[in-house]
Amino acid sequence: MAQSNAVGMRRPGWAQRLKEWLCRESTAGVICSLPFIIGFVLFLIVPMLLSAYYSFCDYNILAPAEWAGFKNYVKIFTADAKFVKSLGVTFFYALISVPLRLTFALIVALILLKNTKMTGIYRAAYYLPSIIGGSVAVAILWKRMFAIDGTFNTVLNMLGIQSNIAWLGNVSTAIWMLILLSVWQFGSSMLIFLSSLKQIPQTLYEAARVDGARGYQQFFRITLPLLTPTIFFNLVMQMINGFLAFSQSYIITQGKPMNSTLFYVVYMYQQGFEYFKAGYASALAWIMLLIIGAFTGLLFLTKRFWVYEEGN
Amino acid sequence: MKKLSLVLALALTLCMLCSSALAETHLNVAWWGNQTRNERTQQVLDLYTQETGTTFDVTMNSFGDYWTTMATASAGGQLPDVMQHSTAYIQQYVDNGLLLDLTPYMESGALDVSNIGESVIDLGRMSGGVYGLCVGTNSMACLYNKTILDNAGIEIHDLMTMDEFMALCKEIYEKTGYKTDLGFGTESYLNYVMRGLGKSLFADGQLGITVEDAEYFFGLYEQGTKEGWLLGGDVFASLVAGSVEQNPMVYGSSPDTMSWCAFNWSNQLVAMQAAAPEGVELALTTQPSPDPVKSGFVACSMYFSVSAKTAEPDASIAFLNYFVNSVEANKIMLGERGIPVSSVVGDAIAGDLDPLTQQVVAFVNNVIVPNSSATPAADPDGASEVYATCRELVEQISYGAISAADAAQQFVETASEILAR
Repeated sequence: MAQSNAVGMRRPGWAQRLKEWLCRESTAGVICSLPFIIGFVLFLIVPMLLSAYYSFCDYNILAPAEWAGFKNYVKIFTADAKFVKSLGVTFFYALISVPLRLTFALIVALILLKNTKMTGIYRAAYYLPSIIGGSVAVAILWKRMFAIDGTFNTVLNMLGIQSNIAWLGNVSTAIWMLILLSVWQFGSSMLIFLSSLKQIPQTLYEAARVDGARGYQQFFRITLPLLTPTIFFNLVMQMINGFLAFSQSYIITQGKPMNSTLFYVVYMYQQGFEYFKAGYASALAWIMLLIIGAFTGLLFLTKRFWVYEEGN
Repeated sequence: MKKLSLVLALALTLCMLCSSALAETHLNVAWWGNQTRNERTQQVLDLYTQETGTTFDVTMNSFGDYWTTMATASAGGQLPDVMQHSTAYIQQYVDNGLLLDLTPYMESGALDVSNIGESVIDLGRMSGGVYGLCVGTNSMACLYNKTILDNAGIEIHDLMTMDEFMALCKEIYEKTGYKTDLGFGTESYLNYVMRGLGKSLFADGQLGITVEDAEYFFGLYEQGTKEGWLLGGDVFASLVAGSVEQNPMVYGSSPDTMSWCAFNWSNQLVAMQAAAPEGVELALTTQPSPDPVKSGFVACSMYFSVSAKTAEPDASIAFLNYFVNSVEANKIMLGERGIPVSSVVGDAIAGDLDPLTQQVVAFVNNVIVPNSSATPAADPDGASEVYATCRELVEQISYGAISAADAAQQFVETASEILAR
C-alpha cells in the first residue's frame, strides 16, 4: 500500500518535470537546432574522428583498416618528396594569389564606389566570375583558352605576336594560369570591401579635405586604416580557401607539368582515390589541418600590429 | 483531410515495400564505359527483364570514378551483385575475398562455358579459382592515321621492331611534321616493352626488371625528345588524360601538337574512328617492341565478376551465363566489349559487325593470335602507383629535366619500394 502510494506520488512528479523541461526556452532551442547538431556530428565530427583513426592505419578501403602506428606520418615527413613539393606549390599559390586577389578586389571596389547609373550593372558583372568561377565549366574553359592552339594564343597571333607557348604545359607558366584564374574570381571579396567602404563616415573625408589632404593621403590615412578589419577577415578566409584549392588543379592540369601545379589536396586525392591509400591520405589531411590552424593563429597574432580596431 | 492523405501515403509506401520484397529477383549491376556501351548494355538488361522478370539497378561510370565508387561500396559491404572487372584491380579484390569463385558453377553447368576456350577461362584464373569471366578479348595495338601515311607515301607493316619504328617516327616527322605519341601515359606499354626484352614488369608481386631494362625503356623517350618527334608533356598537359575524344591522334589543329599514332587497345579503334575528323581513315597494327612476338598477347578486355556477398548467387550466375552465351544479347552489344568469348556467339554475330569491328577481329585473330606469348598475370597491389611513377618520369624526360639513366635508377628504386609494402 505504502509502495503503490510512493509510485503514485512519483508519477505526477515525473510528468511534471518533463512538462517543465519541455516548456523551458532552452529546450525549444535545442530541439530547433537538432537538425544542425545531428548533421554536424554525423557528417563532420564522426568522419573526422574516423579519419584521425585511419591516419594511424594501413587502409586500402577494400580491406579493413590495420593499425600501423605512426608509420604514415613518419613516411610523410622523412621519405615523401611529393609531400614537400605539393606543400611548396600550395604555399606559393596561396601566398601569391590571395594578396593579388585582395588588391584587385580593393581597387575595383574603390572604382565601383562612385555612384553612377551603371554602377549596379558593373557590380553584377564583376561579381559574376566569382559565382561561376569555382565551377567545372570555367576550369574547362580555362584549359581551352590557354591550350597551345587555344583562344589566348590565337588572339596573340592575330595581334601579330607569334606565340605557340603551351601556357599550361610549361613548367614556369602553368601555376600562373591557375593564379590568374583565382585572381579573376575577386568578386566576393570585392562585395565585402564595398560594403565596408560605404560604412566609412563621409565626415572624416570632409574634415580631411578642409585640412587640405590630397586624394592619396585620404586613402592611406582614412580609407585603408578603417578597412583593415575587413582586409584581415578577407585574408584569413581566402588563405584557408587557397590552402584547400582543389578543383582548379584537378580539372585543368591534374598537377602537371612535372607536378608544378600539384596542390596539396590534389596530392591527397591521388593517394586516397587513385592509389587507394586512405590511411596515408588521412594523415596528409590532418597535417594540412594543423598547418592551416597554425597559419591562421599566426595571422591572428599579427593582428594587433596592423589591424585598426575601434575603441583602441 | 491531412491525416487521411498521410495514412494513404504510408499505406502506399508499405505496399511498395511489400511488392518489391515479393517481386522477382533483383540484381545490382555495375560497369564502366562509354555512351555506346551504356546504351547497348541497358538494352540487353531490358531484354533480360522481359524474358525472365529479373529487374536491375545499374551503376555506370567512367573508368577512374568507377573504381572510387566500387572501393567505397566494398567498404560498406555493398558491392553490386555483378560487376565489370579489370586486370588492373581484380587481384586486389580477390586477395580481399570480395569476389565469388565461379568454378563450382562452371562445373555444375549453371555457367555454360562449353563454347569458351580453356585459355580464355584461364585469363580469369587466379589464387586457385576463377574469379572473373572474361567477356571479351582484345589486344594492345598501335592505332594510326592511315591518311597521313598514304599522303606521305609511307607504308608500314605489322610486327615492327623498335628500331624500325623509331626510324619511321623520325621519317614521318621530317616528311609531314606529325609527331609521335609513344604510349605517353599508356601504362601497359612499359610491360609490353619489358616482355620484348624477355622480362616481366611484375614478378610475384615484386618488380621484375633491372635498372638497365628500365633505362632501355626511358631511352626511347630520350631519343624521341632529342630527335624532336616525341609528343611531350607540354601538349599532354592541356588534354584530358585517357579520353578518346582528346587523344592527340584525333584532336588538335596542327601537326606539331598531334600524333600520327595512338597506343591503345584494339577495340578502341571504333571509338577513335568516331572521334576522328572527317576524311581521316584509321587503321591498326602491332605496337613496336624489341621482340613483338614475345611482347604480344591476347588480353581479357574486361571480366564480369560476382560479389562474394551477393544475396542472389544463382540469379547472378544465370545472368552472367545469358550475357556471354546469348546470341540475341550479343547481337545488341556487337563486340563492343571486345571479341565475344563464345565461339558460337562469335560466328553468329560475325555478319552483323561493321567493317571497322571486323577489321579489329581480323587483327586479333590473324596478327596477334599466331604471333603472341602467354598473357601476363593480373596487376599486383600498388601497380597503379608504379604506373604513375613511370608516367611522371616519362614526362620529365620529355622536358629534358632528367636523363634516361637517372630516370631508370629512380624508377626502380621507387617502384621496388611501392611493391615491397
